[in-house]
Formats: sequence, C-alpha cells, structure tokens
Amino acid sequence: MSAPALAPPAPPDQAQARAETRRERKRRERLEERDATIPVELYGLRQGTVTLLTACCVLFAAFTLVPIVWMIINSTKTQANIFSSFGFWFARPFEFFHTFANLFRDVDGDGTYARWFYNTVLYSVVSGVGATVLAALGGYGFARFEFRGARLLFAVVIAGLLVPITLVVVPLYLVYAKVHLINSIWGMIMPSMVTPINLYLMRTFVELSIPRELLDAARIDGASEARIFFRVALPLMVPGLMTVLLLSIAATWNNYILPLIIFSTNNLFPATVGMGLWLQHAGNSGDTNLFPLLVMGGLVTIIPMIALFAILQRYWRGGLLLGSAAN
Amino acid sequence: MSSSTEVIAPARRETAARRAPGGRRSAYARRRGRSGLAFVTPFMIVFMLFMIVPLIYAIYQSLYTTKLIGGTTFSGFANYSTVLRSGPFWGGVIRVIIFGGIQIPVMLAIAFFFATIFDLGVAKWGRIFRAIYFVPFAVPIVVSSLMWGFLFDPAYGPFNRFMNAIGFHNFNWLSTNLMVPAIIIIAIWEWTGYNSIILYTALKSVPRDVVEAAILDDTPLWKIILRIKLPLVRPAIILLVFINTIGAMQLFIEPTILNNYQAGVVTNTWTPVIDIYSTAISNGEYQLGAAMAVVLAVVIIAISVASLVFRNRRREFT
Amino acid sequence: MSAISLEKLTKVYSTGVRALDGLDLDVGDGEFVVLVGPSGCGKTTALRMVAGLETISGGTVRFGDRVVNDISPRQRDVAMVFQNYALYPHLSVAENIGFALTNKKIPSAERQRRVRLAAEILGLSDLLNRKPAHLSGGQRQRVAMGRAIVREPSVFLMDEPLSNLDAKLRVQMRSEVLRVHKAIGAATLYVTHDQVEAMTMGDRVAVLHGGVLQQYGTPRELYGRPANLFVAKFIGSPEMNLFEASVSGDELVLGSQRLTLGPAETVLAPYRGRKVIAGVRPEDLELGGGAGGAALGADVRVVEMLGSELHVFFAIDAPAAAASALAATAGEAEAGLLTGQTLGGVARLDPRSAVRSGQRVTFRVDPGRLHFFDPDTGAAVR
Repeated sequence: MSAPALAPPAPPDQAQARAETRRERKRRERLEERDATIPVELYGLRQGTVTLLTACCVLFAAFTLVPIVWMIINSTKTQANIFSSFGFWFARPFEFFHTFANLFRDVDGDGTYARWFYNTVLYSVVSGVGATVLAALGGYGFARFEFRGARLLFAVVIAGLLVPITLVVVPLYLVYAKVHLINSIWGMIMPSMVTPINLYLMRTFVELSIPRELLDAARIDGASEARIFFRVALPLMVPGLMTVLLLSIAATWNNYILPLIIFSTNNLFPATVGMGLWLQHAGNSGDTNLFPLLVMGGLVTIIPMIALFAILQRYWRGGLLLGSAAN
Repeated sequence: MSSSTEVIAPARRETAARRAPGGRRSAYARRRGRSGLAFVTPFMIVFMLFMIVPLIYAIYQSLYTTKLIGGTTFSGFANYSTVLRSGPFWGGVIRVIIFGGIQIPVMLAIAFFFATIFDLGVAKWGRIFRAIYFVPFAVPIVVSSLMWGFLFDPAYGPFNRFMNAIGFHNFNWLSTNLMVPAIIIIAIWEWTGYNSIILYTALKSVPRDVVEAAILDDTPLWKIILRIKLPLVRPAIILLVFINTIGAMQLFIEPTILNNYQAGVVTNTWTPVIDIYSTAISNGEYQLGAAMAVVLAVVIIAISVASLVFRNRRREFT
Repeated sequence: MSAISLEKLTKVYSTGVRALDGLDLDVGDGEFVVLVGPSGCGKTTALRMVAGLETISGGTVRFGDRVVNDISPRQRDVAMVFQNYALYPHLSVAENIGFALTNKKIPSAERQRRVRLAAEILGLSDLLNRKPAHLSGGQRQRVAMGRAIVREPSVFLMDEPLSNLDAKLRVQMRSEVLRVHKAIGAATLYVTHDQVEAMTMGDRVAVLHGGVLQQYGTPRELYGRPANLFVAKFIGSPEMNLFEASVSGDELVLGSQRLTLGPAETVLAPYRGRKVIAGVRPEDLELGGGAGGAALGADVRVVEMLGSELHVFFAIDAPAAAASALAATAGEAEAGLLTGQTLGGVARLDPRSAVRSGQRVTFRVDPGRLHFFDPDTGAAVR
C-alpha cells in the first residue's frame, strides 16, 4: 500500500449519508431494522400477547417518567404549592421564570446555582477530554504494541477496576491534605481522568477495529509512530472516543462524593454538592424558598446530559456493546 | 460462548504469536516497544499518582494512630482490629449485601425481560421505549435521590398520600423498615435502562440463523429465550453482576440525600461508605477510616473473586 | 404432483428492494433441485420464503397440493441447513441433533436412538459429547445436516451449506450431501453461488439473476442449450466465448473473417443483414482448419497449461459482444463482468497440442455447436 493509506479513510457510506437527508436516513435505517428482525409471528405469539407486552413497556415507561414529569410540573410551583397541591398537576401561581431567575442569585448565603453549574461543566468537560486523550493513547499502546512490562501494567489497571472509586476518595483526601490539593480544581479533575474502564474499552475497541496490517502498511511507507497514530489510527477510533468522552463527562457530571470531600469552599462546588447542601439547609430551616430552587436546579442539571446522550446516541450505542463484548 | 468472545480471541492469539522466537528481541522490536511505552505513559502516570499512590498511602496511614496526647504512633493492626470488631461497620456491610442481593437480581430480571422484548421486536414503538428507559442513566444520583425524596416524603409526598388513600394509614416509605426497599426502587429506576440496553446489544449479537434454526425446530418461545438466548448472553450478564455488585457495595448518595427528608433513619454507620465518610472526614479519624476503606475493598474483591471462581467451576459442568 | 411448487413467488422488502420477481419452480418427490446465481440474485430469499422465515409479498408456495403461505414455519415440517450452520454453541453435538425432537416431546429412548442413527450416517458417533466450538468446519457441517435429517422432514432446504469449507473438503462433502439425500429421499432445494456445485449435484438447476428466473432445467440442458446470454456466461468454466457478428447470406461475418454456417443458417434467417451475438464453448474450438466446419483464424496471446488440458487465450479482430446487449439480460451491474474479455476468447485444447503464445492458429468450429443470441434481448436464437 502506498501513500494514500496514510490519508484519513473516508468511509464510502459517509458520503452516501451526506447525499440523503437525515429524515431519509432515519427512515431507511428503520426499515432495514424491520427487515433484519425476525417477524413476530414466527415466534408463535398471538396479537393479544403483543398487546400485553406493549402494555408492560408502557407501565415501565410510566415508572421511568414519573419523577421527571413530577420535576417538570413542580418546577413551576411555589414552595407552598410543592407541598400542598396535587403533585402531578400544575397550580397557580406560575413561578417557573421567577425560580429560574433565582438560580443566578445567592438566595440563602450558601452560594449561587449558576456558579455551581459552571463548575460542573468545567470539571466535566476538562476531565472528559483529558480522560479521552489518555484512554486513546493508552488503549492504542496496550492494544497494538508489545513492550516489557505491558502485561503487568495492564493487569494493575484492570485490578483497579475492582477497587471501588469511592474507596479511593478517602486516600485521595489524605494525600491532598499533604500536597495542598484540597480546594484545587485539579484535585477534582485529575482523578476523574483515569477510570480503568475507559482504558479497557479503548483497548478492546482498537483491537476490534484497527487491523495490525494497516499499521504495518503505514510503517512500511515510512510513517513515524506519532504520524501513524494521528493519521491512521485516530480517525478509525472515533466511535470509541465518543463513547469514552460521553461516559467520562457523565461520570464527572454525576460525581458527588469526591467534590464533597475535597472542596470546602462553596464557590468550588459542582451542582450536585451545591444542591446537597441546599437540601440539608432546606430540611433544617423550613422558611427559605429552597425547595423550588432544588427542583429547578435538578431539572437544569439533567437536561444537558439527556440532550448530549440523545444527540450523540449514534456513536455511543456501538460503544456500549463493547462493555458486553469485552468480557 | 457468544460470538463476541470469538471475535476477541483471535486478537489475543495473535499477540502470543507475535512474540519473537526464543524471547530475543531485535533492535526494531525494542524501538517499537519504546513507542508503545510512550503511548501508555501519560495514562499510567496519572493513574499511579491519583489511584495507586493514594491507595498505598492509605494502607500506610491505616497502620498508625493519632492520639490527642502523644501524637501519631505506629500501631500495627490496631485500627484493623477495631474495624473487624466493629458491630455497626459489619451491620452496614450486611445491609448493603442484602440491598444488592435483592436489587441486582430483581433489576437484572426486569432488564432482561425488556431487553428480550426489544430484541424480539414484540412490542410496538421499541425505539421510543429504549430511549425512555435510558433517560435515568443521564440523571445524577443526587438529583434522582432528590426527586424520589420528594415523591417519598413522609409528610407531603404523593406516594404516601396514595398509600393513605388506598387504606394504609401513616404509611412512610422512608421509615426504618422501608428505607432499604425505597432505595431499591430508586436504584432499579436508575439502572434498569442501562442494564437493559447492554443486554439488548448482547442479545442482538446472537446470530439470527441460530434463532431461525430453533424456530424451524418448532421450539417454543420461552425455550428460545431461556435455553438458547440466555446462555448465549451469559458473559454480558456476569459483567453486569460485577459492575452492579461493586456499585451496590458503595451505596452512599441515596441514603445521604434521603436522610434530609426523614431524619434519624440513616445513621452514621448505615452503609460502609457512610461509615468511612463520617469516620475519616467528619470525625477526622482518618487512619481508622483508611483501615475501613481497605477492609471494604478486600470484601468487594473477595466477593468478585469468589463469583469468578464460582463461574469457572460452573463452566466445567455446563 | 410436485413436492414443492412455487408460483409467481415475489419478495419486495419494505425498503422497496425487489429481491425476487415472479419465480415459478417445481420440485418433484425425492428430487434434488439447485438454485444458483450470483450473490444478491434472490436465491436465498426464495429458499427462506419456502422455509417460511421470510414473509411472502406475492405468489404461492405449495407443498404437495397444500398452500403453505400462511402456515408457520413451525408447522411446515421443513428442515434447513444454514450457511453458517447455526449450531447452538452451548449444546453438545448430541443435544444439537436431538433439540428438535425434545420440542416434539419424543420419548428419550426413541430420541437417543434417532440421534445415534443420524450420527452413524454422518460419521459423528465419536463426537456426540463435543461442543461445536471444538469441531472442525466439516464436522460442524455434518452436525448441521444431522440436525436436519433426524427430523425426517418432508422438505429439505440447504442454504450454501458448503461455502464455508475449504476447496478440497467442499468437493468431498458434495458427494456426502448427495449420499445423505439418497438415504432420506426428501425433496431438496439447495442454494449455491457455485455453478460447479450446481452442475454436479442438481437433478435440475434453476439459474436466478436479479430476482428473475433465467432458466430451469437439467445440467445438460443448461450447458447445451442456454436460454440466454446470462446462463451462457454463468454456466461453464472457462466461460463461453461471445462475439458480436453479423449475418450475411449463409455466412457469419466476424470482423474480417467469414464462417460458413451450413444447416444453422435457417434459424438465423430473421437476422440476415443484422447483428447477432455468436457464442462458442472453449472445448468446441479444435485446432487445425480445413476439413469440415468453419475455420477461425486467431492470434494466440497466453497459453495456460493445466495438466489435463490447455487453455489458449487468443484474439481475433471481431468485437467481443457489446456491453449493451449483455446488459439486456444481465442487468447493468453485471454488464462489466460479462465483457471482461475484449476481442478475444479462450479455447480448451488437448494438453499435447503444440501452441505457443504469439503464434497464428486456425480453429475449426462445427457450426452446429454455435450458439446465437439476440443482441437486444439476449435471448437465445433457436
């Protein structure tokens, strides 16, 4: 293979995907999926059973949506109405915008939700990108190179899978106290960048999707290892990278115990810890208007994540499969 | 054995085959080795600094004791003997084992049920349901505990009102007896969709022709599901049991948050991680906390290894 | 009465792809019928519709005189061997073979007897406790057959059962499959893309292309009297040589050469003064001009010695059949493939023939062995 092998591969189906509109692609995919599934009648199921199973799905969907619907409805209520009115219907006055505006103010002296939200985004994005870079390099290195100690190092990382993350938190706190990383954003970001599962996913992904022959061909063409990584391997790793990025962002976004322990300054809290603090104060002193803020804050916290998962689902769905294939 | 494991196996064999005969390595191989090391170094450095070093430091610390008078002294396994003899700590461990022992099988059964429905395509609007079920995965546990706290609230929560309305007076989801079941419901809400999607993707990888062969053999549906599909996705199920067990043993956020709705039920030793947190951080006895963390890690690793051994044993007979 | 008869069988996928278009076919009792064609020709779709695994968009499938369109594959009493064998990976060979019998609630003793019998027929007796992962390709293939024959089905379907085996094993398994077929005597529909397999195994062979049946007949008929250009090209290796020619009087004009047609002239009467596509099989070209038949001069380009025979690739100055004409039957996608050779052909000669590349030779052609096709429709001119 000659020089063209080094050019980032342009999958032919991608060009085709551009030619057809989004709607057409969705339609085609749906129809192909239908053709690819075994027709229900072949299982010997009666229509009644199908209806019953659909009903089961509806029930569980309702169970899944109940808390979220409750949160949406109650984000429009006053504190009094949250407690006294019927939980699953609206009540006057309509306070949605008023409560939303309060997210930008320091209502009770604990801190401002907007600031916490900003911190959450900062920690998640920085550590997510960092985790992806580290996992991409490391996964590629473990999957496609042999070197002294590779097996041992990988075994150590895999053993890390068994060590519960919350258990690392107390030791981290002890170390941070020694090296003055308490109340430092790096104390939050750095540990979030090294999840063993990311490395494991990435290594599996490289093994399954980047043939050795391709890399060898590039080497015969005289490309440096760095160039091979960036120009040949990386473009092929995109779905895996997206999965790791998304899962890392979500993990940091949801993290509670690490920031709870290492931050003592309210200004540094992410949204999860901030809301935990509010909840504690709201329970102690009933008179503040913190409950509507909690409901609204919860809503604002989850929407970006749901949106991100929905938008990028084409990428991470294949990646999740790795989790099961990897065993 | 699923097709997925077959996909991976050749890659491993390939690695073994590529080792130079006789173990001697050429200059080229050494240079390649150095590049490999360069690729993994960034991850390994951060991993060592922020995971291994703290763990070693914690083990080191757990061997010391700080007294108000006399300062910090080496105390050997004194902290460990305190932890091992601590009734509340083991009470917490048993509580999370009971919690996981109920929550994980129930959740996996539900997840497998829906994964099968999606895989067979026997329910209408499967795509929409899959998307809905996955939503809780994107909700931080703090937020989901917050929402469920409101729903379970003893004074105002709609769920207690509902129980009152159907005749259970003074029903309290967050009382001492019902706290664990309440958290099980929350955990099922949080994790079923995620587990179900993973099982769904695993079920999808069961070759279509195997199922068709079963249909031509006039195999009843229940048998196709339980005797053919279930055995073929066992690796995925085992993986999920692992992940969920490790998660369940670390139960912390849900009880901590719910404690704000119903004070007094969740004690400082309710779960091992709460115990560790309150000992090491709130009380400042971080050497004792470190010892607890190590003990809990050992318990989790022991459970994992035991299940691995059990699984390998089973494999010999099936 | 036929064991299987297909009438106007049609499959249109929901994406609008027409995989099969009006297939008519009948399979007699105990007959071994092969469906052959290039990939994507609809042969597997047809087989799956007979099995009931694919819904039928149009037409009927009959077993005997019973229409089975709406009968579940579970009740059709068909057994099928899949291309990838579709063995249950977690069950032993014995459990795989006996699985269908457990569904029929056949008592254990009887089940074991039948499994042992099937294993004996297929030479699997020593492997009954193995898992599929520990079997070779050929052994897996046998297990797949064992699973089918143990059911004593009335209809036996095979979807490219030999395509995953290496070349040597494939040849060996061909006769094995036929032996098993003779032993159980069920009407068999066998799908393959390999024309050699089709010719050697089928009592009758159906050639499919682009979802349309091209020709259905015995291997001898297909080879000797191909119904159209596609069949002419598809059956036989090396392929039939096809040249664009014109008819002038009682002579066929091939570039600058003229071949005397003799008695074949009458069928070409409608083409007098027009173009026609002439075809000749490589083995119908004999070295040495003159005595009897028509003579064709050619320049030898490449000589391939195969041991038992000699393949001589040559060039003449007549244009090879135009792509457009072939496309008429072959479908546009295959046109390129069919016109692979330009301005030349291949002859299959006695290995002792003294032919070197670069040589000018003369082939003798028996005009009765020439095939003619309409350049517009591709249909055979008879």
